[in-house]
Amino acid sequence: MSQKQYWKGLEELNKPAQQEVATDEFNEDLPFDLSGNLLDATTPRRDFLKYLGFSTAAAMLAASCEMPVRKVIPYAIKPDDITPGVPNFYASTFVDNGDYCAIVIKTRDGRPIKIEGNEKSSITRGGTSARVQASVLSLYDKARLRQPFSEGHEATFAAIDKAIAEGMSGLSGQAYLLTGSILSPTTKEVISQFIAKFPTVKHVVYDPISYSGMLQANEVSYGKRSLPSYQFDQAQTIFSLGADFLGTWLSPIEFAKQYSAGRRIGVKNLKMSKHYQVESIHTITGAKADERAVCKPSEMGAVAIALYNAVTTGAAPNFGSKKLNETIAKAASDLKKGNGLVVCGANDVNLQTVVNAINDKIGANGTTINWSISSNYKQGIDSDMVNLVNAMNSGQVGALFIHGVNPVYEYFQGAKFADGLKKVKLTVSFADRMDETAQQCKFVVPDNHYLESWGDAEPKTGYISLMQPGIAPIFKTRAFQDSLLTWAGATTTYGQFWNQFWSSKLGSQENFDRSLQEGIIELAIAPSASGATFTGNVANAINALQSSKPASGNKELVLYEKVSIGRGAWMSNNPWLQEMPDPITRGTWDNYACVSPKTAFELGAELTSINEVDYKKHVIKITANGITIELPIVTVPGMHNDVIAIAVGYGRDEKVGRAAAKTGKNAYPFQVWNGLTFDLYSGANIEKTNDFYDIALTQTHNSYEGRAIIHEFSLEEFSKNPEELYRDREEEIGHYTTLPWKKEGYEGNEPKLGEYVAAVPATDALEEGFRENGTLYPNYESPGIHWGMSIDLTACIGCGACVIGCQAENNVSVVGKTHVLKAQEMHWMRIDRYFTGMPNDPDTIQTVFQPMLCQHCDNAPCENVCPVAATPHSSEGLNMMTYNRCIGTKYCANNCPYKVRHFNWMDWNGADCFQDNLYEDGRRDDMNDDLTRMVLNPDVTVRSRGVMEKCTFCVQRLQDAKLHAKKEGRPLQDGEAKTACQQACPTDAILFGNVNDRTSAIYKLRAQEQVHRKFYVLEQLHTLPNVNYLSLIRNTDVIVGGNEKLDGMMNDHI
Amino acid sequence: MHLKYESFVREPLVDGDKTYHQVTEDIVRPIEQKPGRMWYIGFYFSVLLLLFGVFSVTWAVYWGLGTWGVNRTVGWGWDITNFVWWVGIGHAGTLISAILLLFRQGWRTGVNRAAEAMTIFAVMCAGQFPIFHMGRVWDGFFVLPYPNSRGALWPNFDSPLLWDVFAISTYFTVSLLFWYSGLIPDFATVRDRAKTKFRKFMYGFASFGWTGAAKSWQRHEALSLVLAGLATPLVLSVHTIVSFDFATSVIPGWHTTIFPPYFVAGAIFSGFAMVQSLLIICRRIMGLEEYITVGHLEAMNKVIVLTGSIVGVAYLTELFMAWYSQVVYEQAAFQWRIAGPYWWSYWAMMTCNVVSPQLFWFKKLRRNIPFTFIMSIVVNIGMWFERFVIIVTSLYRDYLPGSWTYYSPTWPEIGFYLGTFGLFFTCFFLFAKYFPVIAIAEIKFVLKTSGENYKNKMDKIDAKSTEEFIHEQAEAHHH
Repeated sequence: MSQKQYWKGLEELNKPAQQEVATDEFNEDLPFDLSGNLLDATTPRRDFLKYLGFSTAAAMLAASCEMPVRKVIPYAIKPDDITPGVPNFYASTFVDNGDYCAIVIKTRDGRPIKIEGNEKSSITRGGTSARVQASVLSLYDKARLRQPFSEGHEATFAAIDKAIAEGMSGLSGQAYLLTGSILSPTTKEVISQFIAKFPTVKHVVYDPISYSGMLQANEVSYGKRSLPSYQFDQAQTIFSLGADFLGTWLSPIEFAKQYSAGRRIGVKNLKMSKHYQVESIHTITGAKADERAVCKPSEMGAVAIALYNAVTTGAAPNFGSKKLNETIAKAASDLKKGNGLVVCGANDVNLQTVVNAINDKIGANGTTINWSISSNYKQGIDSDMVNLVNAMNSGQVGALFIHGVNPVYEYFQGAKFADGLKKVKLTVSFADRMDETAQQCKFVVPDNHYLESWGDAEPKTGYISLMQPGIAPIFKTRAFQDSLLTWAGATTTYGQFWNQFWSSKLGSQENFDRSLQEGIIELAIAPSASGATFTGNVANAINALQSSKPASGNKELVLYEKVSIGRGAWMSNNPWLQEMPDPITRGTWDNYACVSPKTAFELGAELTSINEVDYKKHVIKITANGITIELPIVTVPGMHNDVIAIAVGYGRDEKVGRAAAKTGKNAYPFQVWNGLTFDLYSGANIEKTNDFYDIALTQTHNSYEGRAIIHEFSLEEFSKNPEELYRDREEEIGHYTTLPWKKEGYEGNEPKLGEYVAAVPATDALEEGFRENGTLYPNYESPGIHWGMSIDLTACIGCGACVIGCQAENNVSVVGKTHVLKAQEMHWMRIDRYFTGMPNDPDTIQTVFQPMLCQHCDNAPCENVCPVAATPHSSEGLNMMTYNRCIGTKYCANNCPYKVRHFNWMDWNGADCFQDNLYEDGRRDDMNDDLTRMVLNPDVTVRSRGVMEKCTFCVQRLQDAKLHAKKEGRPLQDGEAKTACQQACPTDAILFGNVNDRTSAIYKLRAQEQVHRKFYVLEQLHTLPNVNYLSLIRNTDVIVGGNEKLDGMMNDHI
Repeated sequence: MHLKYESFVREPLVDGDKTYHQVTEDIVRPIEQKPGRMWYIGFYFSVLLLLFGVFSVTWAVYWGLGTWGVNRTVGWGWDITNFVWWVGIGHAGTLISAILLLFRQGWRTGVNRAAEAMTIFAVMCAGQFPIFHMGRVWDGFFVLPYPNSRGALWPNFDSPLLWDVFAISTYFTVSLLFWYSGLIPDFATVRDRAKTKFRKFMYGFASFGWTGAAKSWQRHEALSLVLAGLATPLVLSVHTIVSFDFATSVIPGWHTTIFPPYFVAGAIFSGFAMVQSLLIICRRIMGLEEYITVGHLEAMNKVIVLTGSIVGVAYLTELFMAWYSQVVYEQAAFQWRIAGPYWWSYWAMMTCNVVSPQLFWFKKLRRNIPFTFIMSIVVNIGMWFERFVIIVTSLYRDYLPGSWTYYSPTWPEIGFYLGTFGLFFTCFFLFAKYFPVIAIAEIKFVLKTSGENYKNKMDKIDAKSTEEFIHEQAEAHHH
């Protein structure tokens, strides 16, 4: 480097003194007179002030500027495909035993943070479920095992491999591999290699929630022990006997997509399928049904027989319940018209055989049931499991490898399984956590999380979905397949094996790469639907059903899976799922006994408005199968009066994780082995106790009181008078404007609704007039982009995928049970659930879901009341939150008519300036762990305590989409920006876009296609919401909601 | 019969045979003596309450407002209820000192000092709630319109909460000035009598060197009138603006134009009740029955029955409007108020505020001191419930039934409220000990016209014939 000196001017060159000044700018001493006492100085007061100033400043610096040190280690060599701040997407597959969803993993800086549906899959078609959305959180579950264990102690893979090799070589007796249903073709190959090495190994498939009855019935009926493909979209009549196919039955995401496709109602398409539901409990599928009747579980056989007879002979059903008789008779006549589909949720061979016979008679096989593509979701045969447990107990089993299931907890005689396990010499679990079974196994060799795994799935024959990891294994875990390969003595890893397998199947590297990128391998042309010949013996099945003995006890008990928690497993320890309100009960963090209002009343719950808001619920004692447990009751209108329902998946061991531990009771022991299958129904006795238990319900009032916040029409009403809703709106807000065709000279020129759009500027004249004239204040023009959302109440099934999708995308906090009890929960999106009908007559109940989120009002009541202007409005129609400015007066939340603003009551995220004050609730606390916090989306601010927050329309996604378009120098395209809720929805109930763009789907929907069904909630307040709803159309005779005579829920408080 | 001087229904404002000196003695003596046992017990109890309040608030600030019971639907609970309640109580003092001064109501002199003190302490208590109900109280200064480096970032002048900030702070400032300016001559009296050096210095400092010169008195009078003029609109504006917090919103039960007069009437109602509660105890303990007479209490009871009736009419008007408007949300809001899970709060309010004050139509009850005391407590319970009813029972069931919740306070909220009682009474006990609780100078003004002994002297004059009286007066004025 050169030593050249530069000078600014001649003065500097000539006056070296000035250079000195420049180098030593503060060369004078501080002007303190330090010769003696301070008071003796010449200017003691000034000196004093100087000292004061300096010491105050120093004290402030020392006291207040301490920031926590967080280490960030940059890449020494940046990987090609990772740019900080730019997400990468990998197509993969969500597999949880037999549950399947094609997904895209969003990773940021090398860590998966969000799951989206893969639209390329023709099975799930981009839909997801709450569980799929929440699975990313379980990747960072603190309770996951971090290394293998040998007899309860930490061990190495090498040591365990050696021990297992020894164990297998000295094996006496039979060895078993016990797994859940396996969808992966390569895993099946690996298993067969393992069996080839150890020929004594038998593979037993066990499904905790079993479909064995269907598999066996199909074997009897069609000679195939498999499940067909159901095509709900093709069905004109759907009859479901206790099958919750939208929530939990078999493949709910797939069915929800199909079902909603068959029910896209509009004025130009007045066709929708007719859905009959006969069930004993209240499921979300029942909530969507057009006609719903209840029966006891013990009557399900009789209902199936009655339907069979009605279809074949036209015999009128003869039940005590009039509604049930009518429903069966009407369903039978509709089913006979063709394109019918009957499904049944019971795990009973005879019952499923009768259902098969009905489907055969109505010609469903080949139309709505496709036998040319079989579904592989469930493969377990219950008797295999029972035989295995017996063999274990009789000491015939020498080795047992357990993957994907947890029989000590899930098996109906978990204790018996545990006893048997003790008699097995070599026991190996592949569990991801120390679950109830793993605790009793000698070796625990934890499997990778699916987001860390290579793999594949063949949910339906011929439909392949590849799985690739979004992150390298976080802990010392090993793929289940790698373990088997190692023990089988193979030298390749599963990854290599998998690669070779698909490379050779797909032919070229190019094909392989493309398939991996897309994640989906499907047949170019789907095989046309084909039927199967029914060869079953209906008469035998009917006889068997009729001779089955009636249930004992004063009530009947139904075990069910919650939409959120499912069978338990990893979901039990997922705080997002634990805090997700159940779609029907809106309960969180617990399981409980669901009872009808009538039963609740008999059990001492006073059904008054006081009781409604009291979270202390009566505890009852339930006895069945010789087992007694105590659970609180939750009142669910629409339940059969003689039935109680309990969710499985609760009452977990503490080692399963903090979120799972210490609440609820295990209901699996109530399962009944009927000699062929596990039955989820049984007789039960219930008894009052004097105890109470707190249940955190997120909704305390169940009726919408007939208010004009929901509009429901029967299909017939809508077809006859599609303009009814529009005319109502016109009456409410029409007087603010003179519509163009009402002006002098234009009378009678009123265009048809939905066809006059070109004549008026924005959405339509009615809304424009109201917008401008309904206020004293000037109207703000909104050129450019104006965001809007539409939510279809007909399509919404209440499944909660959007709730969890939003939570994952927007770092929405989990608050824990104690705070849900105080109604301090944070979900930006909630799904209000309203019951209508007579509470004591479950047959009359019609249930409505209404997703509720920030309406982004253009005239927002929250905005003008904020004293510090922390919530302003954007020119794009967004109601925004400035977290840094918010001081937390909560005035905005009070003044929000939709009550969608959420306050950070506590330091939920460790984002607080008060150190160490993370609130302890016990069950949610792992959410603040460094590991769990890896799931946070870096694009979204983590809110600190004391500020308000709410739905932003996923503004980070909108900005991202706009920037993309800008970089490419083109206008934003419709559909480019999607909100998280919209993307998660399995029924496409949510549409989002730019309403100023006349070519956008949302504009067309609002102004033309669905103008008849469109409404805004609380439109009359002149809040000018940017979220509109589409009316709920039910294909039924009468809508009870809001009808004074039929909607008893309006007056009764339960 | 004192017909020549004034109406015979006017009773004396100061009882007993009082001279100027006696007045000074009576009022200043408690300051110069060591306080009694009751004072110590009361004072320490208040300090304890105050400390518990400080603990409760610290707890909530440290852990977060999640320690309170307020929730996503009911965002304001005991905090704002207590705020409005205390502000309401803070109305009587200024009303008595300002409006009654302008209306030349002589009877105010006996009670105005204590009432003004009460106002100031009540506003101090009230102020705590809006401050500590903030989620981020450390950023509370954002509400002040101060120049900053964030560009043109001002508070939102559209927000009624911001209006509150200005209204309350102005009211507090003016009330404090008014109160203090009245105290100056009395402090000087204490100073002049002081026997210890320390007391002489302190009261001398507090009295700003008051000399009692005629010019001083004249300026003092002028200042009082000016401040009274300033304070009068404030009495009406403060609670009007507080009511705007609710009236400008969109929530059924809040969104109503009746609120400003209704709130002001309610505030005076509760303020007078609080003055009654305090003075009935004070006059008893400090032996001031002759200055704060039954006549004073009766006068205030009359105000209570008037304002109580006004709020009663307001409650009924709300119900009528809900029916008349035919707005389902409004109707339902009142239905849930009356018969919903919070029915007890509505009926507590109705009983305490509307029904019970009507008993004051009976003169016997108006002049019955124990009854007045009980009623003053009942009225303040009722007024607390009124604020609770307006705030909580409007919010808990508004538009969308899916969002409805319930609200119960937790211990830090209750502790905060108790803490403000601690603050209030700590201040009041200190005031009672160190300040002249009755305006000495002002009592002396009215003594010669309305004191009992002077009134009795008028008997002789009354006995004179009219001609004689006129003659005498004319003579007297000629000299």
